[in-house]
Parts: sequence; structure tokens; C-alpha cells
Amino acid sequence: MREASRDRLKAFLTLLPSIILIGIFVYGFIGNTVWISMTDWGGDGALALEPTMNFVGLANYSDLFTGFLSSGFRQDLVNAVYYSIMLLVGAIGLGMFIAILLDQKPKGEDILRTIFLYPMALSFIVSGTIWRWLLAPQGGVNVLPTYVGLPPLTFQWTSSTKAILEFNWQNLIQIFLYIASFALILVGLWILKNNQKRAVKYWLGPGIIVGLIAWFGGGLFPEALFMEETHGFNLATLGIIMATIWQYSGYTMALYLAGFHGISQDLRDAAMLDGASNASYYRHVAIPMLKPITISAVIILSHISLKMFDLIFAMTGPDNAQTGHPALNMYMTTFRANDFARGAAIAIVLFMVAAMFIVPYVVSQYRQRTKG
Amino acid sequence: MANVEIKKVVKKYGPVEVIHGVDLSVHENEFIVLVGPSGCGKSTLLRMVAGLETLSGGEISIGDRVVNNVSPKDRNVAMVFQNYALYPHMTVRENMGFSLKMRKKSKEEQNERVMEAARILELEPYLERKPSELSGGQRQRVAMGRAMVRKPDVFLFDEPLSNLDAQLRTQMRMELRKMHMRLKTTTIYVTHDQIEAMTLADRIVILKDGYIQQVGTPIEVFEKPNNVFVAKFIGNPPMNILEGVCNVIDGKRFVVIGKTRFPIQDGVAAEIVDGSPVLAGIRPDSIKMGQNVERLPKDWWCHGEVVVSEILGAHSLLEIIIDGENDLLAEVEGRIVAHPGETVRIGFEFDRMVLFDPETKMALY
Repeated sequence: MREASRDRLKAFLTLLPSIILIGIFVYGFIGNTVWISMTDWGGDGALALEPTMNFVGLANYSDLFTGFLSSGFRQDLVNAVYYSIMLLVGAIGLGMFIAILLDQKPKGEDILRTIFLYPMALSFIVSGTIWRWLLAPQGGVNVLPTYVGLPPLTFQWTSSTKAILEFNWQNLIQIFLYIASFALILVGLWILKNNQKRAVKYWLGPGIIVGLIAWFGGGLFPEALFMEETHGFNLATLGIIMATIWQYSGYTMALYLAGFHGISQDLRDAAMLDGASNASYYRHVAIPMLKPITISAVIILSHISLKMFDLIFAMTGPDNAQTGHPALNMYMTTFRANDFARGAAIAIVLFMVAAMFIVPYVVSQYRQRTKG
Repeated sequence: MANVEIKKVVKKYGPVEVIHGVDLSVHENEFIVLVGPSGCGKSTLLRMVAGLETLSGGEISIGDRVVNNVSPKDRNVAMVFQNYALYPHMTVRENMGFSLKMRKKSKEEQNERVMEAARILELEPYLERKPSELSGGQRQRVAMGRAMVRKPDVFLFDEPLSNLDAQLRTQMRMELRKMHMRLKTTTIYVTHDQIEAMTLADRIVILKDGYIQQVGTPIEVFEKPNNVFVAKFIGNPPMNILEGVCNVIDGKRFVVIGKTRFPIQDGVAAEIVDGSPVLAGIRPDSIKMGQNVERLPKDWWCHGEVVVSEILGAHSLLEIIIDGENDLLAEVEGRIVAHPGETVRIGFEFDRMVLFDPETKMALY
């Protein structure tokens, strides 16, 4: 008993320096940022030795989401959401596709693997510069068709002002409810096969109810703004999305390829004998088996996309309204406009969005580990 | 159900030939066991029948159809793997029904066939479990169930019992035999375990270095081995092989090994004459002790000194030296207790002795 408590004390003392350092430099600073975001630190005298800071509660957050002058931030946030979704679909889809091709053991698989993984080794500033050239309005990709006698493309890859999939920010609450309803129904359908009762009771039923409330009660919700404000998917972000997919699909390819190689040959043989074609082997056996890899890829890519900064900086500059991103906005607000409190609020919003992806993952991993 | 014809099948990996023109006919409803040491080509041969390995030469037909260029999924064969190869993300039900799903059978038919197989294999309580939640024996049964639901022309088994413990292996062996008696599906079974081969097979095929050594019923290969390799490989403990010379004494032929003389039966191996070198093969269980000696002719008796004795319960293994120079392994009844250093009376069933040519190592009958 005594021996055990001495061991515990030793373990605690060994861990103590790390606990203190992480406590101060990670969680302490997060706490400090939360505090700053609830003050009015900024504007004139922000850089004074002892700046005046008054507690203002959630005013900064409220202004970001509903303030008349914060429309830019809201577009950045919408950009970040579209950007994340497209990056996930693109990088995972393309990475998986290349991994499946390489899993057929073509000649020179090793060289091809290195070539596909190589963009990952480049810094975002370098790849951003390359893609900026490639997507220049009168060069690069746009002039490719002229090599086969076709007219050049006229699409403005990084400076188009067109937007699609637009919605009115006034209806924010309704939109949130639609998203919640969609997510609940999706999860419900996912577990319907395994646990019908639970799926209906906890997911499908509430999902449909929330959806109906959003549909019929649309007019009853308070509007987020006093005037109409449309946001959508700015086509100018397509170029940035392409560049990021190019840079990260090699990484997801490496993840999937390692996973495919880890599946025993017997399992593949068994599937072949069971009548699976090559495509159905991947669809029904290999890809479902690599669900943990898919989840990891989703987590990693989504938080990369939420933190995206340098690639956008290199491709379209820091203050392009069409291709803005909350991380860039945070930097500009904090260090160019010296509006520290508002910058901190943006940082916390980003932190919360990232936590929405990561916390469920960490919890499920922890549960699996304690189960196992 | 179908017969399988393997004609002059060759397999090469680059310049290395591992199977050298094997011929084998597996009859309809037959249970054939391919047995041999590691690297003899038995699994490769099985995988060629399954279509998982290409042929470098020769021809394989299942039923009336040559299947050399038919893909595995279209051969209507089902295979059970050594490590079960169950899909870990699917439940037992999904694992067993996967092949039917791939063949676009109706949900009702899938369910019906899975339930039927589950009932036979007593897997009904486990249908909603994942393979990781099953014991080794249950996983093995799921693998068998997955093969059964297909109602294939041919079952292929690749060392399916080697991952199980000894007790479970014996039990599963019985179940496999019962399953074959019930379904009567043509079966090719690969193992390196000669006990499995002996207990399961209608006919055993013994392979070595990519050549078939012998094809025969378990009793044939045990009692009438084609060569020294088969004699030593089949049977545990292996056959005693003693090097001697044929001498004719008083008009009768004997294998003379130092001071020891083993009588050669009349009509056996006529080509062996006075002075021919010869190998004498004696099965350990053809050496008798105690009361059992009495049943043998008196001139088949002798005395030997026990060197080591291993009591195994049902029987005992004894190492005995006869005439002070020839070492023999004997398998005798368990109730007979012999201590090291003791001189005991033993008798040989010389009518079961097998003679081999020392040069070719082939049996002489």
C-alpha cells in the first residue's frame, strides 16, 4: 500500500513540470484569450503600457454574428464552412481514389507514391505562389485549351465575384435548425440498421420534429439582422480549394494505402471467392474496414482547413473580401487593426468550431480504449 | 457438386518451378486431403483450384468446365482459410450472407440460407455478433457457415484447424466429417497434420517438393506406402526404417541387419535375391508385447532391452534395442509397463513389414 502511494507520488512529481507548463501556456492562455474577448481592449491606446480594458460580456461575439459592420467576418465563416466541406470531400475522395489505383500494384508504385505524397512536403507559401501563377487570369490553367486550338478559359479563379448556394443571414436560426435536423436524420439513418428503436427514438424522431419546426415556424424566429444580408459559396475560393486538395490528397492517399496494405490477402481472396468484384471489394470490405482512418482524416483535414492561413495569404492576399478566412480575419483584426478583444473573440469562435470536430472524436477514442 | 480434374499442372514463380506437372482426379462427393511438409506446394495447388493463383501449365477442370481462365467468383467454389478471413466489420449474419448479397439473391433467400447454416452449425445465438466477440471455434464455424450458404460445387479448406487448440481441433475434425457426410460436397482439404489427413480423408494425396508421392485411402498409404518418405510422413510415431542385406538361409529369405534377422514373406518383392541391399520398414504398432506376442508365430518373437519408455495412457512408446545393436521404436498397449534397462519379449508382425530399395527409396511389394 505504502509502496503504491510512493509510486503515485513519483509519477505525479514526474508529470508536474508538464502539467504546469501545459496549464500555463495552453489552458492559461486559452482562458486569457476568453477573458480578453469579453473586454473592449482595442482601438486608440490599445498599445499603451497599461491599456484600459472594460468587461463587456458577450458584446464582441454578438457583434461578430449580428453587428452591421461584421458582414466580412460572417462571409469568412461561411467560406470556412464551404472550404472545409469541399476540402474533406475532395482530399478524401481523391486520396482514396489514388490509393485504390496504387493498391492494384502498378509498376513503379513506390515512385508514384512518392510523387503523390510530395506536395505535402512543400510549404503552403511555396504551393500558394505556384498555384497563384497557375490560376492567373491570363496564364496557367486558363490558357491550356489554346494548346489544342480551343479558346482560352475566362474564369477568374481567385478573383471571381460570383457566389452560389446563397442564403440570407437574417434566417440564421432557421438555417441552424435545418442543419441540426439534417444531422439528426443522417445519424438516425446511419444506425437504423443496427438499432431501429434507438434510431427512431433519439435521432430520426427529433430530427423530423426539428425540421418541421424550422419549416413551419420560420416566420416566428427572431431575425439575426435588421436587414437582408446574403452569403454563399464564393467561386473565387475554388482556386484555393483546388490548391489545398492538391496538397493534401497525397497525405490521405498515404493513409489509405497503408490501410489497404494492412488488410490481409486472405480477406481479399475470401471476398473474391464470395463473388465480389474489385469495386465491390473496396465498397463492401476495404473502405468500411478503414473507418478509423477515414475518421482520422476527417478530423485532421477539418482542423487544418479551420486553421488555414498561409495558403490563402500567398494566393489572394490577406484582405481579399471574396476569399477571406476567419484565421486571416483574426490576424488582421488583432495585429493590423489593434482590435485585440475582437481578434480574441474570433479566435475563440474558431476554437469552438474546431472543438466541435475534435471533442466527439477524442471521447469516442477514449470510450473505445476503456472498452477494449 | 462436381468432380475436379487436375491435369499436368505446373506452377512457376519466375524461374523457380514449385509444382511439377501434377495429375489428380477428385471424384464427385469425395473428401480429398492434400498433405505434406511445409513448402511442398499443397496450398499453392489448392489456391490454383480456387483461382487465386494462375497456372503456369496444365489444366484444371471443375465438373465439365475447364476453369484455367475462369475468375474465382465464377468457379462456384468456397474456401475456408487458416485464419478464418472473416470480415471484421460485419456481423456473423452479414459475413455468412455476403456471398449471397454479392450474387444479388433476394433478402428472403439470404436470410433463409443463413439461418439454415446457422442452425446446422449452432450459430443462431451469435448471428448479431462481430467476429471479434467470438471464440476461435465459433469463428471457425462462421467461416464454414460462410462456405456452406453458397452451396458450392467444391469446398476448399486451407489448414482450417491449425489455429485451434488440440481439444477443439479434435472436436472440429468430427464436425467437419459430419458436415461432409450430410452435405456430400466434393472437398479438397489441405493440412500438414497427418492425423487430420488420416481421420478426414476418403483419399489422401501426399505431396513433397511439388510432386505427388502417393494417392490412396488412409489405410493404403499407412500399410502400403509407395516410398520411404510416405512411410515416415504418415503415421506417428513414424515407421522404423532399418538398413540391411537380403540373405537366403535354408531356402528362406531374410533381411539381415547385423545379428538381427527379419524373415521376408514368400511372394513379396521377388526381385530381392541373396545379397541385395534392402531397407526394412516396420511400423511401431506392428511390434507387440505381453499377451499380444502369443498370437504371433514363435519365430517372429525375440527379446529386446528397453532404453526409454513414454507412457501415454492408451498406449506407450518404447525405444527398444534388439540384439544389442538395432534401435526400434515400438507403440504398445498402455497397460503394459516396461522400465528402462528391462529385457522384454517382443513379437513382430512381419506380414506388415515393408521393403524398400535403398537407392530409389521406392517400396518393393
